[in-house]
This record gives sequence, structure tokens and C-alpha cells, in this order.
Amino acid sequence: MILRQTKAILVDAYREINAKKLFWITMVLSLVIVAVIAAVGFDEEGVSFLWFDAGFIPIDSTILDKDLFYITLFSSIGISLWLTWIATILALISTSSIIPDLISGGTIETTLSKPISRSRLFLTKYFSGLLFVALQVGVFSVASMIVIGIRSGFWEPKLLIAIPIVLAFFSYLYAVSVLVGMMTKAAMPAILITCLFWALLFGLNITDGILLSFKAQNEIQLEQRTDRIEQIEGNTIRLIQGEMNRSEAGSGDGYIPDEAEIDTRNPLLPRIRADLTNNEESVQSLRHWSRIVYGIKTLLPKTGETAELLNRSLIDPERFPSLAEESAEEDPNTFSVSQEETNRRVDKELRSRSLWWVLGTSFLFEGVIVLFCTWRFTRRDF
Amino acid sequence: MEAVIDVRGVEKMYRRKVHALRGVDLQVGAGEIFGLLGPNGAGKSTLVKVLLTVIKPTKCAGSLLGSKIGDKSTLSQVGYLPEHHNFPKYLTSQQVLRHYGAMAGVDRKTRNKRCDELLEVVNMSEWADHKLGTYSKGMRQRIGIAQALMNDPKLVVLDEPTDGVDPIGRRDIREILLRLKGEGRTVFLNSHLLSELEMVCDRVAIMVHGLMHQQGTINELTSGQSGFVIKTKSAMADDVVEAARNAISDITGDVENEQTKLRFNTSEAGKIQPAIDSLRARGVVIESIGFHRQSLEELFIEAVNESGGGAKPGAQKAKKGARS
Repeated sequence: MILRQTKAILVDAYREINAKKLFWITMVLSLVIVAVIAAVGFDEEGVSFLWFDAGFIPIDSTILDKDLFYITLFSSIGISLWLTWIATILALISTSSIIPDLISGGTIETTLSKPISRSRLFLTKYFSGLLFVALQVGVFSVASMIVIGIRSGFWEPKLLIAIPIVLAFFSYLYAVSVLVGMMTKAAMPAILITCLFWALLFGLNITDGILLSFKAQNEIQLEQRTDRIEQIEGNTIRLIQGEMNRSEAGSGDGYIPDEAEIDTRNPLLPRIRADLTNNEESVQSLRHWSRIVYGIKTLLPKTGETAELLNRSLIDPERFPSLAEESAEEDPNTFSVSQEETNRRVDKELRSRSLWWVLGTSFLFEGVIVLFCTWRFTRRDF
Repeated sequence: MEAVIDVRGVEKMYRRKVHALRGVDLQVGAGEIFGLLGPNGAGKSTLVKVLLTVIKPTKCAGSLLGSKIGDKSTLSQVGYLPEHHNFPKYLTSQQVLRHYGAMAGVDRKTRNKRCDELLEVVNMSEWADHKLGTYSKGMRQRIGIAQALMNDPKLVVLDEPTDGVDPIGRRDIREILLRLKGEGRTVFLNSHLLSELEMVCDRVAIMVHGLMHQQGTINELTSGQSGFVIKTKSAMADDVVEAARNAISDITGDVENEQTKLRFNTSEAGKIQPAIDSLRARGVVIESIGFHRQSLEELFIEAVNESGGGAKPGAQKAKKGARS
């Protein structure tokens, strides 16, 4: 009987989704995105779109591997822009009414009068809501894999990992939508509050990124200044020792001048030391705030990092050609930080965050919300 | 008679403020059509929802089909049509029946068979493939009844089944109810349409303010106020009435309608002859003499008035949010 009821709920969920125009609009748009990816050509001559040459994009297949180009296109346009933004908003709108409809007067009485436990009914209904996204992402990923396979000649089944990743990403937001739908019995507040919550997560991600970026910049400058000070001090000590040895042979061996003496010889050194102290304070402060943001994020679902998991699993950053320009001879005391190095460090730090932290704590958040909703559903009167 | 529903002392308090049910006792026997009456807010739907696990009671002892109230597995033998039901409009009637059949645990083969049979029973076969969004209220009600019968239930609970149904549809529903009774099923009806209940119910109960006021067969409940009524052309003087009453010492006579009606609570015509003679002897002009049986409606209104809740809808200490 359990299988029969579960199947009935899933079939009903499919029919409900099928009856929504938005589902088909999203599906058609998904296929349009796949068609756009298919229309992009990439070879030794560069990038083209349909029969137009996109010569202003300065890459070709001699610089970047074909499969990497298409996978990046799939990840950046298909996943980062389409599935985890626009399609997610459309899916939230489409699924926001599932729980309010379930608990609406006239429907819930009939359903609850059937021999099915409330918790099983709620959980099956909850997971059936994810069917919308599973179908969308499934079709999109399979179609993309076929297109990329035909275009690049590389068949990459790992692209299908987008299905569980986007599903996990959506499920965090869907859980919030279900909670609000359960409490208010209405779809509109569910959409609005979920979008606000999403904006909060987005804001936290931005803050986290900015803090990590500043931290990386300051750490680089800290290293540069430390190295520079050591270099100047070393040179100065050797210089003083040399002068002493020249005036009296052997008198400079083992002589270590104090800081004041070294600074007298190098008027820039006190400023560098002061900047280093400022640097250290900034790094301390940025590390502190970064830890706080990290702590807050630990308690919340990590939408950004979850979506980024696809890049982690599909794209090896080492395979990208270095875009850093040969820097001209710089003044060794300016301590400029290249954006590429900052990005590399930020990326390294983000990639060092464990899968448990990204998925585990996010699912923990979702689990708490779903458990609360289940408890509420089993306790309340309709 | 084996009791299909046997509950005692059912109480339901909403948010510790509204006492919707205040110790309801109810027994419904197998194979009977039982009608539950009551004004808005009396607690009828709340009682039904308690029986069907939609609402959790504050206090409840008893059984449904021999199992403890709240036992989910028992519900596979129960069919339910809620008031103001709202089946998904994107489904066809066939899909609705099969979906709720599956939810009730009916296997696929039986579902398909029952679906065709029931659409025939409720005269909706021609609409089997049309979506519910295109149906009239009466048609949706027919599908609702068919849905309640998908699992071949022993007990059928129908909350306002004739709501929004035209007279032909009401007649069809009555026939379905009698057919269900003929098949040995128990039918529990919640309805405001007293004349409908009067036509089909074996027993009825009247609920007011979350309490069971009366229950029994319609004959048992209405016989107390039935009897012969003598109607006169003009108002009778007090001494005339007194003389007529004294002429029949063992039966009480009630005066009604500004002393132009005299009612004697007896069904034997011979017993009221002395009173007629007494009135005639005093020159009273009698317009008509007839036997009057109290209607369910009169009984209902009387019960509500006795409970002092005639004009006030809602449960005891009713606040906004109380359920009927």
C-alpha cells in the first residue's frame, strides 16, 4: 500500500506540474539555452556564434582545450546564470503553491481521511515538489551533454553531476518556501520570504568574497613587506659588516647592528615597518570578520558554494592558460598585488572548504526545517 | 446491532478558548443511514473530522469500525466526502477517482473497475475524460460521492452531499444512499436539508453547542409532539378550552395560535371525541380536525431554541475560527 500511495502522490505531482504553464515555459527556455550553447563554435580560428565570427574574444582552441571551453560555457551560462538563478526563481514560483494547496480547506480533509500517516504524506509531498527541478535539470543536463559531445567530440558524463548539485541548491530554498507556505497557507508570502532569504544568503556570499579578497590582498602585502624588510635588513647588515671589515679586518664578522642603526641607513624602512604593522592589524581584523561570516554561513545553507561544486568537479583551474601579463619592472617598495594572485588565493581558500561543510551543514539546515514542518503538519488541526 | 461508530465523551477545545465539542456520545449501528443535524457551529463537522483523524480530539474514547479512533489503517474501510471539497481542477474525474482510490490503498485493477462502475452510478460516465475545472458544482458533488466509494467502504461519511445539487441530482443521491444501505453499508450524513434526511435516515441526532441534544429514530423523536389538532374559526374562551381539556382527562391539550388551535398528544381518533363534543356543545365552530405529525424541521428548531442558541451561530463560547 505504501508504494501505491507514494506512486499516486508522485503521479499527482507530475500532473500538477504538467498543468502549470510555467513548467513548460521553463522547459522551452532551458532548451533555448542549450541551443545557444550549441550555436557557439570554437576552433583554431577562435569563437563563432552561428555564422558570425566573434573575433573580439581573444581565445581559440590552441590556447584553451575545446572540452574545457564548452564545459565552462555550460557551467557559467547553463548553471550559474540559468539554472541557479532564473530557472530557480521560476521553479520557486511554480512550487510555492504545493504545500498551501495541500493544506487548503476541501483538499486536506479528503487526503487525511485516507490510510496514510501524516508524516509520510507530508514528506512524500515535499520530495514530489523537487520533481519539478529534477525534470528541468535532467533534461537540460542531458541535452547539454549531447550538444557538448557533438560540438567538442568529448563525451563528459560528469556533466550529469549538475542534476544532484542543482537539486541540492534548489532544495535549500524550497525548504524555506515550504516552511512559509505551511505557516501562512499562501503561496505569495512563500515566494517573497524565500527570495528575501535568498538575497540574505547572496549578501553573505558577497561579504564573504569581499572579506576573503581583502584578506588575501593584505596577506600578500604582508608577505611582500616581510620579505622586503628581511631583504633590506640583510643587505644593510652585510653593508655595515663590509664597512667595518674594510676599516679593521675581521671587526665586522658576527656584528649585528640594531634596528635603529639599520633604519638610519634606510629611511624607507620605518615606513615599511609601520605599513607592515598596519598590514598585520588588517589581516587580524579581516581574519576575525571572515571567521564570523564563516560561522554564520555554517548555520545557513550555502547556495553559492553548492553551485560552485560543479566547477570544482568539472574544471581544473590549472588547465586555464595564465592571463597574467608580464609585469614591468616595478619599484620594489610599492607592494602592488596582482588581481590574478588574489583570485587564485581566494579560489584556493574557497576550494579548501570541505564537502561536509558545503553540503552537510546545508542539508542539516534543510533537515531541521523539514523536520519542523513535518512536526507541525502532524500536530495541527485542519 | 453492531456499532460502526461508538464514541463517548468526545471533546475538542480550540486554542484553549473555543469549546467546539463538549462531551459528545454517539452510536451508529451497522447498515443504517444516520443523519446528524445541528445549526451552524454546532460541532457536526468537527465531530466528523475527529472520527476521520483530520482533527485531533482533546478527549475521546470509543471506536470506529471496531478500532480505536485515530487508527489510520481503519480508514481504508471508510469513504468520506468533506463539505466544500476542492479536488484538483487539473484532473479529470477518472484521474480523481483513481488517485484517491490509490491513496485509499485500492489496487490498480480494482481501481479501474470501480472507477467505471462508480462513474456509471453517479451518471458521470460521459464526463469521465473532462477536467474538473469544467464541471458545475453539482457534477463535482457527484464525483465527490463516487470518490468516497472508491475503496468499497463499510462506512460512508458524507458532509452536505446535496450541497449545490439540483432536485434531480438530490433524488439521484437519495437513490445512491438507499442503494448503499441495501448493500449493507453504513451511511453517516451531515446535512442542513432536513427534508432530505427525513426521507432517507433511519436514525438522526441533533447537535447543539457541541453537545448531543437528542438521538433516535425519526418516529421516536417526533412522536412526542405529534397528535390531533382541532382548529376553530375564532379564538376560544378560556373556560371553553378548560372544558374541552377536562373532557379528556388522561391526555394533555395544548392551545396554540391565539387560542384557535387545540392540540391533543394522541394518535387515537376515538380519544378526542369528548373534547369535540364539549366544543360543539359550547357553540364553537370547528374549521378542521386533523392528525399532525411533527416534522424534523420543527423538532430541530425546538431543540435549538431549547438550547438557547437559535440565533447564535458558533460553538460554545464561540470566537472567530470556531468550526461547524
